[in-house]
Amino acid sequence: MTHPYEVQLADLFRHLVPEAVLIVFACALFIGGLYKADRRLWGGVALGGLAIAFLTLLIAPASQNLAGNAVFGVPLLFDQLANVTRVLALATGAIFILLAWDDLPEKQAADHHACLLVIIAGVGLVGCSNDLVALLLALELVSIPTYVLLYLPRHDDNAQEAAIKYFLLSVFSSAILLFGFSYLFGLTGTTNIAGSLQVLYGASVDEAKSVSGLAQIAMLTIAAGLGFRITAVPFHFYAPDVMQGTSTSGAAFLSFVPKIAGFIAIVRVFGFVVPAGVATPIERTLVGIGLSDQVPTLFWFLAALTMTVGNILALLQDNLKRLLAYSGIAHAGYMLIALAAAPYLSSSESATSGVTALLFYLVAYGCMTLGVFAVILMLHRPERPVETVDDLAGLSISHPGVALMVTVLMLSLIGFPLTIGFTGKFLVFFGAVSVQGPIAWLYPTLAIIGVLNAAIGAWYYLRIIAVMYLRSAVKPIETTGPLPSRTALIVCVVLTVLLAVPPGAGWIMTAAAQKALRPTQPAAMNQPQP
Amino acid sequence: MFDFGITCLWLIPLLPLAASVIIALFGRRWLPDQCHLPCIAAAIGACVFSVIAFSAVASEPQPIAFGKDLAWISAGDVKANFSLRADGLTAVMLVMVTFIGSLIAIYSAGYMHGDPGYPRFFAAVSLFLFFMVGLVLANNFVLLYACWEGVGLCSYLLIGFWFAKPSAATAARKAFLVTRLGDIGLLIGIMILWTHSPGHSLEYDAVFAHADKYPSGVLFWACVCLFIGAAGKSAQFPLHVWLPDAMEGPSPVSALIHAATMVTAGVYLIARCVPLFALEPGAQLLVAGIGGFTALLAAVIAVTQTDLKRVLAYSTLSQLGFMFLALGSGIHFGEHKLAALAVTAAIFHLFTHAFFKALLFLSAGSVMHAMGNVIDMRQFGGLRKALPITHWTFLCGAAALAGVPLLSGFWSKDEVLVSVYDAWKHSPHYGGTYCLLFFSALFTAGLTAFYTARAYFKTFWGEEKLPPEAGHHPHEAPPIMAWPLRILAVGAVGVGVVLGPTHLFAKMLETRWAPPHLAAHPPGPNVVLMVFSVILAGVGIGLAYWMYVIQPSAAEHLARRMATIYEFSSKKFYFDELYDWTIVKPITILAHVCRIVDTYLIDGLVDLVGMGPAIVGYLVRPVQNGLVQFYAILMALGLAGFLLSVLLR
Repeated sequence: MTHPYEVQLADLFRHLVPEAVLIVFACALFIGGLYKADRRLWGGVALGGLAIAFLTLLIAPASQNLAGNAVFGVPLLFDQLANVTRVLALATGAIFILLAWDDLPEKQAADHHACLLVIIAGVGLVGCSNDLVALLLALELVSIPTYVLLYLPRHDDNAQEAAIKYFLLSVFSSAILLFGFSYLFGLTGTTNIAGSLQVLYGASVDEAKSVSGLAQIAMLTIAAGLGFRITAVPFHFYAPDVMQGTSTSGAAFLSFVPKIAGFIAIVRVFGFVVPAGVATPIERTLVGIGLSDQVPTLFWFLAALTMTVGNILALLQDNLKRLLAYSGIAHAGYMLIALAAAPYLSSSESATSGVTALLFYLVAYGCMTLGVFAVILMLHRPERPVETVDDLAGLSISHPGVALMVTVLMLSLIGFPLTIGFTGKFLVFFGAVSVQGPIAWLYPTLAIIGVLNAAIGAWYYLRIIAVMYLRSAVKPIETTGPLPSRTALIVCVVLTVLLAVPPGAGWIMTAAAQKALRPTQPAAMNQPQP
Repeated sequence: MFDFGITCLWLIPLLPLAASVIIALFGRRWLPDQCHLPCIAAAIGACVFSVIAFSAVASEPQPIAFGKDLAWISAGDVKANFSLRADGLTAVMLVMVTFIGSLIAIYSAGYMHGDPGYPRFFAAVSLFLFFMVGLVLANNFVLLYACWEGVGLCSYLLIGFWFAKPSAATAARKAFLVTRLGDIGLLIGIMILWTHSPGHSLEYDAVFAHADKYPSGVLFWACVCLFIGAAGKSAQFPLHVWLPDAMEGPSPVSALIHAATMVTAGVYLIARCVPLFALEPGAQLLVAGIGGFTALLAAVIAVTQTDLKRVLAYSTLSQLGFMFLALGSGIHFGEHKLAALAVTAAIFHLFTHAFFKALLFLSAGSVMHAMGNVIDMRQFGGLRKALPITHWTFLCGAAALAGVPLLSGFWSKDEVLVSVYDAWKHSPHYGGTYCLLFFSALFTAGLTAFYTARAYFKTFWGEEKLPPEAGHHPHEAPPIMAWPLRILAVGAVGVGVVLGPTHLFAKMLETRWAPPHLAAHPPGPNVVLMVFSVILAGVGIGLAYWMYVIQPSAAEHLARRMATIYEFSSKKFYFDELYDWTIVKPITILAHVCRIVDTYLIDGLVDLVGMGPAIVGYLVRPVQNGLVQFYAILMALGLAGFLLSVLLR
């Protein structure tokens, strides 16, 4: 007796070559590191691994064999979202190897990069997963090496405390997530995401009412479990402590990579992107597992809370890494706005439709934040630390070019026009404003809360610019910084400017907004509804 | 040839822009003393291409157009392209601007030598040339407006070039603000045209083809608004007060921007829009009236000024007034189609004026250079022997300005007078006013000869007198300054006789620019009028010779006899004081009141609001206490809170 989807399952392996390449390189690094401690060598090997993975991704087969109803059987789905996530993950990995290059002891470099490659593979798999089990495994493939990664570069008390804190709370959040998955499985009888979506859609209106209580518990616990990764309030507490305690490259890592995994996992498991082959009911205007407007409302509250708490607490920070942690929380709030509006916008063709805006904002956030971390890594020296905002005083005199680039990044974080931060905020807020429906007034309100928050946020970003340009240093920074982190900084700044306006902005949008991202709807859906 | 002409068209503005960018980016570091080279090269290159474009225009019956589909702004109904065009009018302006610009750039290399702001100067001059050629090349009102503001900006930068000097900074600000006042008029005029033009197009062809279909009142106000813009830029009454102060800038700037090119942009604008103005006799009368009045007013003020550059500045005002007077005399009624002729007269005067006035300013600059930056005519005199080259070139320019027969000013001023005379004879309703304007213009022409001769005699004749700043041996202009002076002197003397009586200039405009319904053949010279104006010029010069050379005490005697008029004239009729009391002072008081309200009331409120988030932050902060078990509890409580809120709803 053969499995009904035998051919389709076998087909998956052709698509998994990039992840396989990464794992092979990771193994090679783990073993090679035992024999030779050389950060240049292993950094180069890791970059090579990422490049080869990227090449295999380019030549990977374009379409997946989904004959029959295989979409309800396969654990992995290689659609547009998967490809965008994998490219984003690979690019992020490359930047991180550059960032961590000089932040590591020679002995730990190989292990660090090996863990990083495993994590990158894990993030890619999160983007592909179509099954709750596969998704959980992919998420753990991100989490477990992260614990090692946080522990490796520094062994002082602070770093160890940070690693332990992250470990405990991360495990806790995974437990909550698994709890939610179990409810979803109990409700729908399948671990396949496309399948569970189909079951929830298929339930008639009356049945939907009877299951909605369980569905809501599932939804909330899943959101809570993933909310840890995206630092949504009230699951954010670890972020400032851990990021302040750990090494700078570790903090940079935590600020971005778990957010990619978390947001993509939310998009997958909540069905913001409906897999091709799932039949959406005609009368339903929303997509996702929200059987009512519960999902958007949940994200509405998460968004409002997250950005407000993040911005207000960031106002009080003097430590740069802690400030960036709160800034990351605030930006997660802006991205949650996109998710809150996404179910209502899924039928629109424009770039402001929620998921596209979210992906754009993710890229934007990555460029800006990693750029700032690159500056800290570049200029920080034990004898002349760059820990607090005041340590940046006089940067405009000692490093005019770097100061200018930091200014660009800060303006982008504020959301100044002609920077990628502005384009991202514009797409998110505009999407929220254009929601229509019975409770549509909620969304412009959310956009207004977002704009107010952006105004509050401008204060602490502008403060950094002011310190750089208006104050002079007691002891000027002398180092010019190592080449790898300088390269990372320049790449981030160039992307911040280049991707803000056409044609750069269009590249992301076309990559993120092609047809696979939108639910395939039966022809009847396109007819005007009464 | 045609294709090549199109290529030249976009190269002409591009060269100065490139020069400006190069100087601004690399000038200070890599060529601190060679900054003039890119500027001069770009100006000469632009001049060569302008001549090529000119010949292309002359050989083609249709205007050359470029970039009709090169979209620039497309926002709703507002559309604008980077469209350039070259017809007769543009070609003439282009050649004039780039030729004079090249000579002045060369002259500046000597004049500005050793100034700490050397790179900044040439970057700004190049940028100015870019905007100026863009202004005359534009084929729609939006591009024209953009360049219009651009030249204003460059003028601001260059008047305030020595910004450490308070008077220069004040003059720059004054010039910018007063011209901005006019620009508001221009913008409103463009908006009116946009509202009513077919398909909301702002391309020249679309707007002008539609001219007779505008509602009459609308067209009148559009013309008035355009003229306000032109009056601001060309310093016509009552917005004339900025130009004399603008002499605080370096002399080459005065020559280039405030005599030859930028200030004539207003004249160019009205000439360009003559298809609109020809249909509105009321607006034309306004143009002529303001022009004639400014010409007279400025000439009267010029008679008593003691600062050589200010005499020339008021003379510029006066000559610009002549141009507007001609533009306003182009009545278009019945069989009397004088509009194109009047524009020809105005543009011809603009053309010749650019030569002799640039020459006069550069010569004045040379005097100033030699006198150690002293420009007060009471402190020097009899410089004929000390500065021979400057003396001769100044004489050429002054004679041309005064209207000495056969020199360029004579021909063009005569054409202006003829067009006013024709307007008087043929205007259906306003003949009387034009008659008044005609005689006022004749009197002004006499005054022009007088004050020009006065400035010349006071500077170069009489007993040799040097200010202490000059040292013992005033140095004549170095060759790099002298040669542009010589070339311009040849132009000031000869350009009129070559182009005027031969009708070369008139034919170029008539066949390559004038709309067919406005064109008419130029009439023969009016001999009576010529003789009359020669007599007036002779009287003016003779009087000045008598008062300042033969009988130097006569001037003071006369001044005492006519004390009231003298006082009014030398105090510029108190316009600055009047504006200060009626406009500047009240606004300053209002500003102070606003500042008090802002500092104590609004700032207080804003500070209160701004403290809000920080206070909330302090309240929330203790939650972040660093204990991991506490965080886990909070996460669980948060989840529980969400669950309860959903389930109990």
